[in-house]
Amino acid sequence: MDFQLAWRNIWRNPRRTAVILVAVVIGVWSMICIAALMRGIVGGMVKNNIDTLTGHIQIHQRQYPDDPVVDYRITDPLAIQSILKKELPEGSMWSTRVRVNAVASNARHSTGVSMIGIEPEREAHISFIGAAVTQGRYLDESDTSSIVIGKALAEEFETEIGKKIILMSRDAPGDISSRAYRIVGLFQAEMEATEKGYVFIPIHTAQKMLKMGTAVSEIAILLPDADLSETTTAHLKDKIRDGDLIVRSWQTILPLVTAVLKLYDTFVFIWFLVIFVAMGFGIVNTTLMSVFERMREFGLLKALGMRPGRIIRGILTESAAILLLGIIIGNILGLLTNWGLSFGGIDLSELAQGVEYAGMARIIYPIVLVKDILAANLVVLLLGLIVSLYPAVKAARFTPVEALTHV
Amino acid sequence: MVNLMKTITAIAAVISILLTSVGSLSARTAQEIIEAGFNHYRGKASEATFEMVIHRPNWERVMELDAWTKGTDRSLVRITAPAKDKGNGTLKRGREMWTYNPKVNRVIKLPPSLMAQSWLGSDFSNNDISKSDSILTDYTHELVGTTTHEGHDVFIIKSTPKPDAPVVWGMQIMHIRDDDVLLLEEFYDEDLQPVKRMTGDQIQMMGGRMFPKVWKMQENGKEGQYTLLRYHRLAFKDDLPDRYFTLNRLKTKQRR
Amino acid sequence: MLIDVKMAWRNIWRNPRRTILTVLAIAFACVLLVFMLSFQFGSYDTMINASVKINTGHLQVQAEGYQSRKKMELVISDPRPVERMLDGIASVSAYTCRARGFALISTEKRSYGAMVVGVEPDREARVSTLKDIVQKGRYWNSPPTPEDLSGALVGRLLARNLGAEVGDEITILGQGRDGSVAATVLTVQGIYASGMDEFDRSAVHIPLATFQEVFFMDQAVHEVVVIADRLSSVPSIKATLQNQLARSAAPEKLTVLDWDELMPGLRQAIRMDLVSGSIFYMILIMVVAFSILNTFLMAILERTHEFGVMMAVGTQPGRLTRLVLTESAGMTLVGVMAGVTAGCLLTWYFQLHGIEISGSAELFKQYGIPPRLYPQLSLLSASIGPAVVFVITFLSALYPALKIRRLKPVEAMSH
Repeated sequence: MDFQLAWRNIWRNPRRTAVILVAVVIGVWSMICIAALMRGIVGGMVKNNIDTLTGHIQIHQRQYPDDPVVDYRITDPLAIQSILKKELPEGSMWSTRVRVNAVASNARHSTGVSMIGIEPEREAHISFIGAAVTQGRYLDESDTSSIVIGKALAEEFETEIGKKIILMSRDAPGDISSRAYRIVGLFQAEMEATEKGYVFIPIHTAQKMLKMGTAVSEIAILLPDADLSETTTAHLKDKIRDGDLIVRSWQTILPLVTAVLKLYDTFVFIWFLVIFVAMGFGIVNTTLMSVFERMREFGLLKALGMRPGRIIRGILTESAAILLLGIIIGNILGLLTNWGLSFGGIDLSELAQGVEYAGMARIIYPIVLVKDILAANLVVLLLGLIVSLYPAVKAARFTPVEALTHV
Repeated sequence: MVNLMKTITAIAAVISILLTSVGSLSARTAQEIIEAGFNHYRGKASEATFEMVIHRPNWERVMELDAWTKGTDRSLVRITAPAKDKGNGTLKRGREMWTYNPKVNRVIKLPPSLMAQSWLGSDFSNNDISKSDSILTDYTHELVGTTTHEGHDVFIIKSTPKPDAPVVWGMQIMHIRDDDVLLLEEFYDEDLQPVKRMTGDQIQMMGGRMFPKVWKMQENGKEGQYTLLRYHRLAFKDDLPDRYFTLNRLKTKQRR
Repeated sequence: MLIDVKMAWRNIWRNPRRTILTVLAIAFACVLLVFMLSFQFGSYDTMINASVKINTGHLQVQAEGYQSRKKMELVISDPRPVERMLDGIASVSAYTCRARGFALISTEKRSYGAMVVGVEPDREARVSTLKDIVQKGRYWNSPPTPEDLSGALVGRLLARNLGAEVGDEITILGQGRDGSVAATVLTVQGIYASGMDEFDRSAVHIPLATFQEVFFMDQAVHEVVVIADRLSSVPSIKATLQNQLARSAAPEKLTVLDWDELMPGLRQAIRMDLVSGSIFYMILIMVVAFSILNTFLMAILERTHEFGVMMAVGTQPGRLTRLVLTESAGMTLVGVMAGVTAGCLLTWYFQLHGIEISGSAELFKQYGIPPRLYPQLSLLSASIGPAVVFVITFLSALYPALKIRRLKPVEAMSH
């Protein structure tokens, strides 16, 4: 009944209503967009990090994370994999790797790199490398002495596809081992550090070169849903009863990224408040004016014996109606905008050198989170009602005489 | 009859032996030339005293060194002068290298990351030293020409790394005289552009064989920057005791 | 014209509540933009100042070619003339000398190649954060004890890789300036963690005197690292130094590098942040603009009756438009001025006291940013926002003002 009255009231002066509505719509829309952009920035960062050989869960020998050398290895990866086959949720994928520091050199250059022996087919599903080769080709299962290096490293080494790279590293018995590899492909990555720091070779060759038998350095797991990683990690810890191994989720492996994620929750909320305050002035002003314009009406109602509480409630209901309508339109517009942006993203590649420094992605794809939309809607609705309270109380205080003499 | 048969077989055998040896004298394979050159240069074992001059555009440094080698893969080198570097040395066994410094009295095994660094501050890298026998095992050789040097024929040999050999070079060119003296070893990258070259000079009798008294290692395109090795004394031995090539001996301060 | 202004002024104050709210909306927008922009610029200054404090300093004097080739022999053979120049520049707040050389660092267990950096303990503490980031063990005493002279500070990751703890011995084996073997045994006196993995993995810090002795450097150093009193004085210090170096009789050619040359990438990071930041500001400004537009529109709608009466008594629509525009210009001016004043005061307060960003200490550590951020008030940050607000406000006032032209007196009066 109240609502119906309010609804009719707000359309009595469509222009005024439209003006407030626009303010609310713009507010909600901008909140949704800002939140989606911020989530997109961190989301890109998280995805980058997970893609860059982290995955959702990693298994290592206990000492490996602190001291990534060939001595600390998973000696029986097959046993672990049979556990994974049984215990991981449907749709999970994993791959084993040999991963140690090595020296890469050719006739003129020499530098330290992270040498990564991979299972080409499985790895392609787990990390960025499967889709990152832009020149030449990716490794395949029949390769033995092939190597894929980053474009930046190739430039630094003044080398190209078809040429040799010598890798040198300490092997399991403790001697220096070196082996020649032929470049079959160049990869490009979001960060130059990745292109310069990682070289990929077939895992069997790596195991042979380092004389480590069938042992591996790490097992990386990609779950169907990143949110499952904490619970799955706990579950795996329970199932893998080997005290020499350590199972860690990406949240543990990348504490910094986790911290950034938390920090952005605060940032998003601060922006919500800032935008709301900017919008709030508009709402107060317009509502206040409309109240003054309707002074006669309120005075009359009061003279007819309407209680102030009823007037306040009436005005708040009107505000609520406008706010709700604005929120609905704002949500639709916000979702449409982000849907549009989700195809091309926002390209920052021109500034890529700097983007890389900040550890962000080159293209920002907005990410819409339900909790952000709910928060935006709640902020607008609640604070909108609170600021409407002032004009409402004002209206309730008009004395009939004052109101009726107002022109 | 039997006797006759025996005689004929014997003669045939002698002839065939004669034929093969004559053939090898006139046309040795490139592989044999390289091996002969390497053995001539290295000997079964050797003892040497030499000075090393590291020349840079602004400065020059001279060191005196003692060196022992055995076979293809063992060597021990120790600095004897100047005083502040005296006692520093390196030991190579197989592909591993250790370095010793008397001041800190420590033997340190060189990690892979240091193998591409300079050896004792010279234009030789630790890899040049530790992989010195790589030319024998990692390459295929081809005679590509001849020239002459001080009345000797010189074989020009092109050495190409075997497909999977762990060597950074794209090619090496060696000049070896017909008396097995190595005159030039030139290192090329994979585009067959020269990277650096080692030359032998002032060939004279040393340790009972013709030997370049002076060796020079220089990077291509770096004028005024080179390393010279000048032999004072060189003796070739049939053998040296294994204890000469131990970490303990690397540390001992004995003169010889 | 004067009459118009007078009328406008009287009109403004005829409905003080509406005027105050409008002025407040404008003022608030200005406060917000002044503060946010100052905050952003301030955090860049903080970021740069913090980054340079980890290692590079604002400026460095080096021998020409050292920055790109890092050759041991490219030294400043006598840093004292450079020090005297720096003493004579008022805006230099601190400086120190460093020497560096690549060496093999080893413990009983492991060996790694790393950069050995010789630093002057007392001066270094004023130039870089090295003293503050020592997490285990201790920094050198002032003045250094004999024991301190053989004490090394090792990065966290390098220490981990070497398997070294505080008190353990490490051997340094490298090549001296003259090419001779440089070797010494030192004690791990402290382990530091800057949060920058690259830095924590690749360096060992030792007292400069020890470095010069071990690496046969005599008085020579590789870098004179300078900290300016503020970021903005860097260009002038650089120019002064370059001038004086050109006239000095140093045996080698010296050059001056600023933080941008020492840390390429940092400026791009800032530019990129500005770009993504400006997206947010644009959205904010849009919201502000609509809020103001609404207020003006509302105000005009409310006065439709009044305008109708004025037109009926013969006022030209053009004059009405002018009147309304004068009114909005007046309000905008008051609002902007109030906003800039309040914004500057607010910013100034936080500039003195800083803003604690809790829960993000770890993140900021990676970029070397202290957990407390200080906005930096400048002419630019105090004027950009208000200028944009002024323009937008005026434009949004234009729309309702032009609407007046289309008013029909009779309709308007019956409103």
